[in-house]
Amino acid sequence: MPARLPYAYKYLRAKKKFPHVWCPGCGIGIVMGSIIRAIDSLGWELDDILMVSGIGCTSRMPVYVDFNTLHTTHGRALAFGTGAKMANPNLKVLAVMGDGDSMAIGGNHIIHAARRNMDITAIIVNNNNYGMTGGQFSPTTPQGAKTATTPYGMIEPDFDICKLTEAAGANYVARGDVYHVMELDGLIKNALSGPGFRVVEAMAPCPTNFGRANRQGDAVKMMELFKDNTINVAQASKLPKEKTEGKIVRGIFVDKDGIGYTERYQDLCDRVSSGVKK
Amino acid sequence: MSEKPIKGQTKEEHCGAKKKKTPAVHIFPEWCKGCGICVAFCPKQVLEMGDDQKAHVIYPEKCIECALCARRCPEFAVYVSGDTIKESKKKSGGEK
Ligand SMILES: Cc1ncc(C[n+]2csc(CCOP(=O)(O)OP(=O)(O)O)c2C)c(N)n1
Ligand code: SF4
Ligand code: SF4
Ligand code: SF4
Ligand SMILES: [Mg+2]
Repeated sequence: MPARLPYAYKYLRAKKKFPHVWCPGCGIGIVMGSIIRAIDSLGWELDDILMVSGIGCTSRMPVYVDFNTLHTTHGRALAFGTGAKMANPNLKVLAVMGDGDSMAIGGNHIIHAARRNMDITAIIVNNNNYGMTGGQFSPTTPQGAKTATTPYGMIEPDFDICKLTEAAGANYVARGDVYHVMELDGLIKNALSGPGFRVVEAMAPCPTNFGRANRQGDAVKMMELFKDNTINVAQASKLPKEKTEGKIVRGIFVDKDGIGYTERYQDLCDRVSSGVKK
Repeated sequence: MSEKPIKGQTKEEHCGAKKKKTPAVHIFPEWCKGCGICVAFCPKQVLEMGDDQKAHVIYPEKCIECALCARRCPEFAVYVSGDTIKESKKKSGGEK
């Protein structure tokens, strides 16, 4: 263990769990750093936070941070998170999920969490494949991309996580990537700072599987792809269409303060206990 | 020098010695997995990959303490003194 820690003893389970299991250059660790910095700048107490996850490389994140942590079953982070939030509405619930976890097996949970405006912040690490199980395609694998199960290229169209959660009713929807890490810190901080269902898609490299299958090179090369092939929504709006074509847009797409589920539920409880039906 | 600094006087003020600048950026080899991200994207080329496949601080004097290396390191293996994150005074203990 290093003599001096970058994020000190405060946020990491540094002595028992580090170095972590993620591959060299995997983007998940960078997203974890962004989450920690966002929470640090909000000054939250560690014990007021629950980080809940499902299964996958991304879903190992709760192992490494010293909040209340819950590592559950594949696709069910939001189901367990919903239960925890309803049992203790004061808890700040943060669900970390992979693209497979949130869009494939957990796809139904996410649309209904968004519809309900459940007071949970969902951080989705999108590495365009099932990293943990050997790089099979996921619902966010781009058309034409190679994976272990699409050796001739993905023939299915992919989900846009941001458009999907926006349409389903989320209060906050944003996309960032691990190259533009200062921006990602801010997007996550905003996501944590309001009511209702709040989503950040964090694009991250999986050099071991997706990168290798698509000959994208090492982690540095994959980071360069984010640098070159993405554009901020504010910049994009100022440029002519041909300059932004083919680029993935980053930034905040939805930012509302619609009433979250816990507040509506409390209101229902109050009405029932006071005998008012309306 | 037998004279002691007077109360409130710093060592530098007292004997005129320049404070030696300690390198702002530190790499912890135990956690570095040699991905090269910090080296590739440092705006001032402060860092280099060593033969041991770990990042090393080569030109600390060029460092502008932007902390981009620390933020992009997936391993939490970089520490920059000027980084804004609050350092915890909490010592070891409990599940860490
Ligand atoms: C019910 C169930 N089905 C399938 C699996 C196998 N499985 C483990 S992780 C995973 C996908 C992980 O992909 P993703 O959510 O994108 O996370 P990543 O590893 O890419 O971070 C699958 C299918 C499982 N553990 N449980
Ligand atoms: S398999 Fe991919 S997602 Fe999983 S730890 Fe390795 S690089 Fe990261
Ligand atoms: S703090 Fe900035 S200038 Fe200094 S080594 Fe890191 S990236 Fe380079
Ligand atoms: S980014 Fe971190 S793990 Fe990668 S080479 Fe630099 S110090 Fe090592
Ligand atoms: Mg994935």
